[in-house]
This record gives sequence, C-alpha cells and structure tokens, in this order.
Amino acid sequence: MSETLLEVENLRTVFHTDKETIHAVDGVSFDVSEGETVGLVGESGSGKSVTARSVLGLVDDPGVIEEGSIRFRGDELVGGNWDQHRGDIAIVFQDPMNSLNPVYTVGNQIKEALRIHQGLRGSEATEKAVELLEDVGIPDAARRVSEYPHQFSGGMRQRAVIAIALACDPELLVCDEPTTALDVTIQAQILELLDDLQREEDLGVLFITHDMGVIEETADRVNVMYAGEFVESAPVDELFEEPRHPYTRGLLASIPGRNAEGDRLPTIEGEVPTSTSEPTSCRFAPRCDYAFGACEEVHPGRVRVGDVDTDHEVACLLYDDTFEETPPEGGVEAHGGESA
Amino acid sequence: MLNRETLQRASGDGRTLAWLGIGLLLFLLEAGAAATFTMEALIKIALAVPGVDSAGFLTGLESAARSIPTLLSREAIPNQGYYNGSGYQETFLGLAPAVAWAIRATLVYVYAFGIMGWVVAGYRLYRSTYRKADWTPRDDVLDRLRSHNWGLFGLVIVFMFVTMAVFAPALGPTTVDQNMRNSYGNDISYWDSESGSVETIVVGEANLGSASRGNNQNVGPWSYDDYGRFHPFGTMQNGRDLFTFLMVGSRISLVIGVLSVGLSATIAASLALTSAYYKGRVDLSMVLVSDAVMAMPQLLLLIMLTTVLGDTWINEIYSGGFLLALIFAFTGWTYMWRSLRGPALQVSEREWIDAARSFGQRPTTIMRKHMLPYITGYLLIYGSMTLGGAIISIAGLSYLGLGVAPPTPEWGRAVNLGQDYVRTGSWHISLIPGILITLVVTGFNALGDGIRDAIDPQSDSAGDETAGAGAGA
Ligand code: SF4
Repeated sequence: MSETLLEVENLRTVFHTDKETIHAVDGVSFDVSEGETVGLVGESGSGKSVTARSVLGLVDDPGVIEEGSIRFRGDELVGGNWDQHRGDIAIVFQDPMNSLNPVYTVGNQIKEALRIHQGLRGSEATEKAVELLEDVGIPDAARRVSEYPHQFSGGMRQRAVIAIALACDPELLVCDEPTTALDVTIQAQILELLDDLQREEDLGVLFITHDMGVIEETADRVNVMYAGEFVESAPVDELFEEPRHPYTRGLLASIPGRNAEGDRLPTIEGEVPTSTSEPTSCRFAPRCDYAFGACEEVHPGRVRVGDVDTDHEVACLLYDDTFEETPPEGGVEAHGGESA
Repeated sequence: MLNRETLQRASGDGRTLAWLGIGLLLFLLEAGAAATFTMEALIKIALAVPGVDSAGFLTGLESAARSIPTLLSREAIPNQGYYNGSGYQETFLGLAPAVAWAIRATLVYVYAFGIMGWVVAGYRLYRSTYRKADWTPRDDVLDRLRSHNWGLFGLVIVFMFVTMAVFAPALGPTTVDQNMRNSYGNDISYWDSESGSVETIVVGEANLGSASRGNNQNVGPWSYDDYGRFHPFGTMQNGRDLFTFLMVGSRISLVIGVLSVGLSATIAASLALTSAYYKGRVDLSMVLVSDAVMAMPQLLLLIMLTTVLGDTWINEIYSGGFLLALIFAFTGWTYMWRSLRGPALQVSEREWIDAARSFGQRPTTIMRKHMLPYITGYLLIYGSMTLGGAIISIAGLSYLGLGVAPPTPEWGRAVNLGQDYVRTGSWHISLIPGILITLVVTGFNALGDGIRDAIDPQSDSAGDETAGAGAGA
C-alpha cells in the first residue's frame, strides 16, 4: 500500500469582503496518496481553484483558511507552516502564457527553482535545466533553454511549466486546469506526459478541471465540487458507471459523445451560486430537476452508497433514508434540461 | 552554421574594437573635465563633513586635474577678449566673441549628440552580435519608442536640457564666479571708443553699465554691451549675463528634480510592491498612510519646512536644494504610489508570481525579480512626468522668493527679477526663462507619453505580451 501524501480534512476557506463573507471552500475532505491521481471537477466558481490554492498556502488576504486541516506526510500545514514543505508540492497552472514570466528565459526560470531546491548554480544548473527540458519532451533543449517564453508554442510552454514544477523535485503535483488553454491534440500529449512523469516518479497528483472527459482519462478517484462542497466522491469507474448526484449526472450528460439522443448537448441551466452563509438547504436545489420539498429546508449530509467496499459518497437527500423520495431509475441520460 | 557564427563573431570583434576606440577618444576629449568634476565633488563631500575645513590634499589633485587639456573648455576656445582697435585679442583664433562663443556652444552639443550616438551604436552592436536571444520583449518597446515622434521630441528636449546642466560652465559666455559671485574681484579689458584705447574695468562696475532696465537702458538678446561683452540672451536687470545664469540654473533644477523624483520613486515603488504582494490589510494601511500624506497641503508644508529648517545644517547643503528635494520626495511619493499600485496589483495576479511563491522564493526576491520589471516602465513614465512637475515647483518657489537660496542661479528667480520689465524693452529677462521652463516641462511630459505608448500600445492591458512574434516550436 502506497503512503498517503496529503490529507485534507474539513477545509473551510472564506473571503471576508466589505459586504459579506464568501464561503469559497466549505468543508471538504480528501486524501492523495503516492502515485494516485485525485480529480476535482466542477464548473468555474465551484471553489476548486481555491481548494488548490489552499493546499499550496497561496490564499491571499482577504481570504483565509478558517477551519480544517491540511497535512502533508503527517505535518500540519495550516497556520503558516508551508515553508517546511516548499517544493514538495508543486503547481501547474492553466495558462502557460501566464505562468511563465516573459522577461526571463525559460532556463532562467527553471534555474530559479533549481537554486532554491537543489542548491544548483551556474553551469551545473544549466545542465540540469536542459536535462529537465529533455525530460518533458522539448526537442533541442540545449538551445531552447536560453529562449524566451514567447518563442515557445502553447504546448511547449506548458511542458516548460511542468519542467519548472519538476525542478523542485516535488512529491505532489497540483494541476489546475493544465490543459484547458490548449487545443485537443496538444492536450492529449500533455496528459500523456503527466501520466508518464507520475509513473516514473510515483507522484501524487491533484488534478483540477471542469472537463469530465479529461477526468475520465486521468483520475483514479473523483470529487465533484459544487458551491464549495463535495457533492459526490467515488472511484472514477464507479462514478462514470453509476453517477448518483443529479449534478454529476448533469455534468456527465453534457460530455460530447455520451449522449446519443438528440442533436443538442443538454446543459445545466444557471450558474454556481456564491455561498455567503451557512447552508440551510441543498445548494443545488434551484438548478435540480429532482428537487422536492425537503431540499429547500435541509442541507444534505454525505451518505454512503453502492457496494460496501466501493468508497462512494454522495450528498443528496434522494439517497437519505429519512425522506420518501427515491432516485429515478436508469440514470439521467434521458433527463437534463431540454433547454439550452 | 558554425562558420557563419564564427564569422559573425569575428566581424563583431572588429566593430567592437572600433566602438571602444571611439569611446576612448570621446572620453579623452573631456578627460580633464571629468577629472576636475570628480575632484570638485570629492572636495565638496570632504568639506561637508563637520569638523573638516580644508581639503589640502584634494585641492592639490584638483588643480592637477584642471591642467589636463580639455577640448570643450573656456580655455581651449576662449570667447572673452577685447578689441584693441585693429583686431580681437585673447579670443579663439582672434574671432569676434560672439563667433567664438557660438563655436564652443555648438561643439558642446555636437559632442553630446556624439556620445548619444555612441551609446546607441553600442547597444545595436550588442544586440546584433553578442546577445544570445534574437528578440526580447524589450526590443518591441524600443522599436515603438523609435517611431513615436512626440516621444522622440521629448527625448531630444530632455537630452538637450541634461547636456545644458552637465556642460553649464562651458556653455556660458562668462562664469558665475566672474560675473556674479565675485564681480568686484575680477576685472576685464575693453575698447573704449571715445578715448580710442583699451581700458580696464572691474566687472561689478561694468555690470552697472550693462543692466537691462526697460527702454532707456537695455542689452537685449544676441548683442554686445558697452564693454564688448557678448550676451546671447541679453543681460538681467542687474547687468549680469542671463545666459550664464540660466545655464548654471539648469543644474540645480535638474539635480533637485532627479534627487526628489529618484527618492519618491524608490519609496513609491517599494510600497506599491509591498501592497500588491501582501494585499488586503497591508494594502489598506498604505492607502490610509498615503491619504494622510496627500491631505497635507504641499505648498504650505514646503513654506513651513523651508522656514523652520532654514537655519539648520541641512539647509546649507546645495543652497537649500537638498532640503527641497527631501520635502518634494516625502510629500510627492503618494501620487506616484497611487499610479504604480494598479499595475503592481495587476502583476501580482499573474500566475508566475504564485508559481514562484509555491516553490518557496522569498517575498523580496519575488517583488524584485518578478514584479519590479513590470512596473519599471510605469516608473519611467511617472518619473519623467513628475520631474517636469518638480522643475515647475522649484521655479515656482524661487519665483515666490522661497526655495533655492540666492545668489545660486535658479530659473524661477530670473522670471521674478524680470517681471517688472515684461512690458518694456527688457522683456527677455522673464520671457526667455519662462519659455525654457515650459519647453523643458513639455519635453519631460512628451517623453513620459512616448514611454507609455511604447510600453503599452493599447494603454490598458499592461504587460500583455504581443505573442506570435517569436518562432513557434
Ligand atoms: S438534495 Fe434535492 S435538490 Fe439537492 S441534489 Fe438532491 S434532489 Fe437535488
């Protein structure tokens, strides 16, 4: 059994603004082990990026981690203790144009990380930087190391970003929508690269995306996030075969190719609400096709579903035995908003 | 491939040698002035230390430095001479004083533009031969500035102003010491046409006779006075040479301006970076501090502080100029901070900042390495514009009789001294410095505009790099 790298427990990250307090992440818990990829999926505004930033200790004032614990190899990080594990957790951002500083050469930026984490300087650092660029599949690395980011194509830039992340020699890689800004073929190459690296180095990966298709390819375990909460968590196969939460079903229905009927993809109407207070109802209720009376009055807790040994949890009153309503049979492909 | 590169390098070496040679030549032409300047500065510093009242050793070195021949000096091309009935004595090649002076002034500017050309050539050489990258984001900025006429106009004006300040002693037809400070300790020879002989007179006396005081008594621009002295800009109401006054006055304006803008830019940039990096409460507290500073009336504060600190040692430094620079800096940084905070906050949102934070780079290093380069452009823009403002303020204060202590020449004081004669034949005393102030301030603003358009062609999306110019992979 591989060791657990990251344990997040009941994490609450809030932003105190002048008018209100925004509960961006509202009590989420998950683990990431060595060699495992944990997916975090949801629409924009669901709190997945704030979760990633919380894990890295990058939450800026006026945001603050109000509650919960983030442990890396057993060491508590919340409370400003990130420095002891700096570099152990690395991040790859969405927009490679934005995550490379255009005024420095790519090599310079890799060397910056190398100097901090491996104490390398001068020609030694340059050699290592070239090596890293080769590792991430950049051809002619010896020449490219002294080029500027704008001389790289989008895919190459994302490879360079990954090289910077690897320069820290991390154990956990947080990928925040790493392929969203890239076109499909490049996306596939980057995913493949991440997969190879993960296997070589036995990295733990926290993979954040809004794209169910990407999740299906990469993740071992999936957490579906909505309005700051995990509404469903399950191993990837289980989730795709037997989605329980109406939101998950909606997300799956909107993947091209999964929905044979109709020439239009169903979409989920509306937007993710901003949570400004303690929940007193199901936050998905206004957009839910199965909502019933109790959904407006009770905040659903997480309940275990499916076989005993599959670790499948869902937060929906349809699965709560206290209520009469039961989930519809046969999945939701037939359902899912004929609007759009 | 290799051959071509070696060839390129080799031809580059030849050009580099030529470039270095020209640089050495340019330096040698002015070596004496450079040495004298350094020594003078050292002596000033030594004397500023309390308890030291003579710098004998340094003075010796200074006179040695003075003896180094220098092309653009009053000694090499003298214009102060006299007519002895048959020809000019003691002037350059026996030319008329006006011509000799014009040659020297022209040479000074030719030399200055030569230096500028040398620097540009050096940069081109570096860019084509030595720099590894074919293209960097800065290249675009420079190219855009090169095609920005208004900005170039500003650059030329600013450059000419700086040249004026640097070469002030060589540019004037006479010197501050001879013409103003020590006018009763120097005498000159002149051709007295009535007696038909060469006479000698104390400069102070001559000044009384050459004063510009309206219609009956006036020495206008580009004319000689009764003592055969040439005045490019005419004389002042006290008979002193206006051109010399203005040249030397440009120095104090520039020094105070650069010092105050440099200080306030340092304060503004460090605070803007800190506030953008830490955001939230740190930012808020800085907003409060700057609001408090802004709420103080700058002019009243200036008047109060110059009066209160008037008798202290700090007001002795550079005729009170240093104190002025400090006051300008500590009241003026807020405006620059306001302007820099926006761009700094924008940069702080970039993901490379978070990337650097995530791998544990120190906050100060992140601010310096990853944020500062993005606001230096704005620093230049606002610095250039504030400098124009500072020059106006300094002139304005002297106009009111505050600020730089007389007799140190200052442009605003010339405007003040001449204002009684504006409607008379002696209009030049106020008008010429007034025009110069306007021109220089416009120049600094134009340069600021040019830099802004060069850095930020759309003037909204700062730092948005124009992609696609590079070679795709
Ligand atoms: S609790 Fe009710 S509203 Fe919420 S997802 Fe389940 S059925 Fe829909």
